[in-house]
Amino acid sequence: MRRGLISWSRDEVPASVLEGRVARLQDKMRADGLGAVLIYTSFARPSAVAWLTHFVPYWNEALLVVLPTGAPVLLAAFSKRMQGWIRSVSHVSEVQSVAQLGRAAAALLAERVSGASRIGVVELDALPWPVAEPLSNSQATRLADVTALFAAIRQPADDTEISLAQRAADIAVKALGSIPPGVPRASQVLATIESSARLDGAEEVLARLVPDLAAGSTLRRVEGDLPLGERYAVEISIAYKATWVRVVRCFSLRTPQSWHHAQRWTSSWATRITGAPADPPPGIVTFWSLEASVGSQPFAVVASAVGPRGTVSAGTLACFSIKLQLPDGPWLGGGPVVIGGREPGRVLVDPLRA
Amino acid sequence: MRLLSASLCTERRARLTAAMAAEGIDVLVVAGNPWRSDYLRYAADLAPTEGHVFAFIDRQGKARVIADLPAEAARFRAEQTDLEVSWSLSPIAEAEAVIGSYGSKRLALAPLAAVPYRLATGPLASSMASATAMLDRLMLCKSPSEIAALRRAAALADEGYAVFREAARVGRPEYALVADVEAFFRSRGCPENFQILASGGREVRGMHPPTERRLAPGDLVTTELTPCIDGYYAQICRTLAIGSPSDAQLRAFAVYDEALAAGIAAVRPGATAGEVARAQNEVFRRHGLGEYVTSEYTRVRGHGLGLYVDGRPAVLEDVDLVLEPEMALVVHPNTYHPEAGYFVHGDSVRVSADGCEVLTRTPRRLFSVPGA
Repeated sequence: MRRGLISWSRDEVPASVLEGRVARLQDKMRADGLGAVLIYTSFARPSAVAWLTHFVPYWNEALLVVLPTGAPVLLAAFSKRMQGWIRSVSHVSEVQSVAQLGRAAAALLAERVSGASRIGVVELDALPWPVAEPLSNSQATRLADVTALFAAIRQPADDTEISLAQRAADIAVKALGSIPPGVPRASQVLATIESSARLDGAEEVLARLVPDLAAGSTLRRVEGDLPLGERYAVEISIAYKATWVRVVRCFSLRTPQSWHHAQRWTSSWATRITGAPADPPPGIVTFWSLEASVGSQPFAVVASAVGPRGTVSAGTLACFSIKLQLPDGPWLGGGPVVIGGREPGRVLVDPLRA
Repeated sequence: MRLLSASLCTERRARLTAAMAAEGIDVLVVAGNPWRSDYLRYAADLAPTEGHVFAFIDRQGKARVIADLPAEAARFRAEQTDLEVSWSLSPIAEAEAVIGSYGSKRLALAPLAAVPYRLATGPLASSMASATAMLDRLMLCKSPSEIAALRRAAALADEGYAVFREAARVGRPEYALVADVEAFFRSRGCPENFQILASGGREVRGMHPPTERRLAPGDLVTTELTPCIDGYYAQICRTLAIGSPSDAQLRAFAVYDEALAAGIAAVRPGATAGEVARAQNEVFRRHGLGEYVTSEYTRVRGHGLGLYVDGRPAVLEDVDLVLEPEMALVVHPNTYHPEAGYFVHGDSVRVSADGCEVLTRTPRRLFSVPGA
């Protein structure tokens, strides 16, 4: 559990952009006859509320109430004295400090929403029970899951979000580039990444490592320390102003030739993930996935080698991950990409550069 | 590669198995996520960093895990080869199906804080309160191995605060201080930390994540650092002055130092969490500062420590939970002071047989760092 710099730059995220996103949701709400939409946020599930309001709960939880008109209301399980901070980092009309989110939401709905209207809840199934119970007791017949409705407006990404993702990607690339050659321990890699990314303004830095590519290709969360092999891989997930990207890079003192082929192939493949297949890969593709934020989590799998193969709309901001089995052993790559349509997509981190 | 030493895992599993047997539970279904991973960590030694995770702890068989991200599933599988792990785009629906597959076995679902609506309204609804209480009991009083982890976390908190003091210099932004501390913790193999801070003067009403504000002469800089070792969090709270502390800052410090000492002196088996809070608050009242120990200015006077950063009990005057040996908590009379601004001062303690052991060792001083 950790977070770093949380601040709202009106230059990077203009209020008008947030208002435009809320308006997109409200248009859908009116079309669907919804009297309100509730969106839960916590340390683990910050993305939907952050996308609409720029609010990120560094701990604790909150519930956003979006009515068909006007700015959203934030019910926050934070003490009253935190309201100033919440207002400084979020674009909402009203912040209420409440002890019990579900009970407060039920009271607000009773006061402001017609008794006949349906109440949409993004990811209703996943709503934590202490929040859901009072709503279920008082509003059960009116509650409707609107996960799909929210997902339909969440992507494609706007220019503001793509700019934030580009900044996050640049932070990631710089952090990975700052790892000294030949470091023997995972802790040194993690400390280097952490320092570089946070000093560059990252809100969060999560790293997973394959400590020795000669021994496997599973990305690990390091608790304690691990020795690094001659070849290892690092995946970092960076949040910058609530926008998350993942970047994966392999390291070796002597870069095998096959890695160059893999980087070139991946660079081409990533721009055409949902389109025509790229040239034959330089090895066996053992896994790939495409993750995007379509709900409350920063990353959800929207397409993968072993999961969904659904269409991903053009303009979606996503992160690809790929594993190749090369003649020199496993190789991992990944980075953020804006999915193409008729035109090829755009990688925010060129695998050739990463 | 398991997350924990084998002995600690075995010890926790044995306690859990015995408790499940006593409660008549064959399979315990534990929900978790990066915000509430404590119960999952206790029951299955899993520490999710993303997504939803459900663990099915079979008292007599293999544990099964469902995650919603393939990388997390692969990691769990690599960490514990004896787990049966799968991933699903619809982990809650998948968990519901697995619950249905156990037939006549007696299942229970926990914890209340993380159980999702769909499962909470299913066939295990009536089991949630008692299963959560069972886990709460297990997690409240620590075993010797758990206390050892807390001691290591407390020692790391002390070291982390020394790094923080070095980092706090005029002109540096708040987030740079956190960068230095987090990098230090990663260099020491500590994967998680909860840290908030604040800087400034009388206008400061509480701590928050770091901002871009740059430290200035005369500031008080507050922080609470909560590093995690083997999943167990220990916390330290201290305040430092940029430059020589003013008389007002020194007067404020004296009150908080007295309150912290009074709170720690009240920690003993048989005392309630409320008495620990009252001991601290009485000091403020004696100094004419009673207004500042209300919810208008502060949240709690401490809280439990363990696998969650803000665990039971909340140290508040109306909490009647009785302290027992081997509970761990942080005692912190953190609140606003009208002459100095928000001020923090706190130490992690273990309830011993006849009092308490203070785990954090950083001197209780109003530290000062160069003001120019």
